[in-house]
Amino acid sequence: MLFNKRGSLVGAVLAVTIGILVIHVNFVIFQGLFDAIVRDLTDYRFGNLQITDEEDYIDKSDQSLVNWFERIPYVEAATPRLSSTASINITKFGERIEETRVPIVGVDPLRDIRASTVHNTIAEGQFVYSRNSIVLGSNVAQDLGGAKVGDSVKLKIVDRYGQEQLKRFIVTGIAKSPGGQGFDYSVVVHIDTLRDLMDRDGYTGSIMVKLNDPTKATEVKDLFLRTFPNEDFIAETIEEAAEEQLAGFRSGIAMINMIGYFGMMSSAFAIVTIQMMLVNGKTKEIGIMRAIGAKRRDILIIFLFQGIIIGAIGATVGTAAGLGYTIYAKETKMSFNNSLPLEVSIQWDKVIQTALISFSLAIIASLYPSYRATKLFPVEAMRNV
Amino acid sequence: MSDKVLEMYNLNKVYGEGDTKVHALQDVSITVNKGEFLLIVGSSGSGKSTLLNMIGLLDRPTSGKILIDGTNTTTLNDGKISSFRNHKLGFIFQFFNLLADLTVLENVMLPRQIQGTNASASKDAKELLKIVGLEDQMYKQANKISGGQAQRAAIARGLVNHPTIVLADEPTGNLDSVSAQKIVQLMKSMAKKLGQTFIVVTHDRHQFGDVDRVITIKDGRAFEGQESTRLEAVA
Repeated sequence: MLFNKRGSLVGAVLAVTIGILVIHVNFVIFQGLFDAIVRDLTDYRFGNLQITDEEDYIDKSDQSLVNWFERIPYVEAATPRLSSTASINITKFGERIEETRVPIVGVDPLRDIRASTVHNTIAEGQFVYSRNSIVLGSNVAQDLGGAKVGDSVKLKIVDRYGQEQLKRFIVTGIAKSPGGQGFDYSVVVHIDTLRDLMDRDGYTGSIMVKLNDPTKATEVKDLFLRTFPNEDFIAETIEEAAEEQLAGFRSGIAMINMIGYFGMMSSAFAIVTIQMMLVNGKTKEIGIMRAIGAKRRDILIIFLFQGIIIGAIGATVGTAAGLGYTIYAKETKMSFNNSLPLEVSIQWDKVIQTALISFSLAIIASLYPSYRATKLFPVEAMRNV
Repeated sequence: MSDKVLEMYNLNKVYGEGDTKVHALQDVSITVNKGEFLLIVGSSGSGKSTLLNMIGLLDRPTSGKILIDGTNTTTLNDGKISSFRNHKLGFIFQFFNLLADLTVLENVMLPRQIQGTNASASKDAKELLKIVGLEDQMYKQANKISGGQAQRAAIARGLVNHPTIVLADEPTGNLDSVSAQKIVQLMKSMAKKLGQTFIVVTHDRHQFGDVDRVITIKDGRAFEGQESTRLEAVA
């Protein structure tokens, strides 16, 4: 009976709806971006589990470690990696162009394509397939004057004894990953070639382990460490291995979520304001109701019920709109900055939590205006026309 | 059982403090019997509406006692006063005070809905609307009917809870003379038909013709008849 201020009520519902929608949009974009970065770091660099050694290099046979991992049902594949830095030069049109301190990654081409998706980032040509083939990251290729597939480049690397080692490679591919989390700033060569150049025969920098069930990472890690107690292995899940890269993002997301919740608080203030307006606009009606016998409790219930309706409709519409946006982002494979595809997922616990918080806030925000409405004296309320 | 439905003893109402103190009512003592049609008359600002607000439990006296149906209302808390208003009193206001968003029928049913007696509310409300001649208007929005019709609806609303007393504050004050006469006749006939006690505040005594009793309020004091005899406290 006191509900006729439809414009105000729609405004209050919109405030709740927009509050929820903002949180969903934030979640899709920023959590999606975070998850996309985790996904790419997992796929390109660390795997779900990364094994390294306290002594910088694993001296145990990579073959035996990979075989050990691949016997575990949760493990899809494992592959060795070796990393260093090198100088690289190319001669184009009689001009020598050199880039120094270029990260270089040695991969086992046959195993790597099972454990990593780096090979999918080859924009031109093909992945490393022979001992003298090299894949240039797109940025490295650009810095080398636009190196192309088929060009010859010379690599200079300092081996374990401090001696410079030189080797000529044929560019077989250019890597360009969406979002740039791949090897766009690195070069990729055969792991055995890199071992030779570094004079680290049989050594491995890391073992990248891909799981078919990422939730079992800790279980596999613990099993690995229990199996090799006397080695100096370091086993890290993706979250641990990429902590440095992800820490900044984590706090960024926390801040964005905070902004979302501040938005929700703003919605609550909007509801307080609108409900106060409704109470002020309905002073006469409240007075009439009180005069004909409505108790303070009855008036409180009317305005609280109004808050419940606002909260329920706002939470429903906001959640529906938020889910709609999430599904749209997922179906259209929405990307960040038109490059990095977001990893969009619907987390029902968060969806329900957001809806419930909004709903509760709408009711809490209605408490004070409802209380104010009950404090009106009928004779004064009716006089106030 | 006593025939007294209303007893007021030494009622005082003071607004403000110190130099701004105003005695709106001074030592008013009135007794009203069941079925009486009582007019309270007086000039503007005399205190007649203040008195009606006291009787209607819409405002509290500064001192004095009000008994309705034998219950001392001055000791009741807010919740009990609301319930008392709902069960024992009916109100008719100068500006009708119907809820504009509700239909005429819903407005009339409202006191009963507040009581929680929804089942018979609709039947009784329709019956009353028929008596006041609004049978064909009951599903209209309250803000879509004329002033005379609105006041008739307000009368029906005032009677729907079978109150001990119906209080009317300038019920004809916002109506043209023809409508005003119809409303006066309607109230009188309802009082007669139902044996209903009516206390009506008006500044236009002549509009009401013959009534059971007239009380004049002047400068916050009550006089029996037209300013003839000062009413003294009974108790």
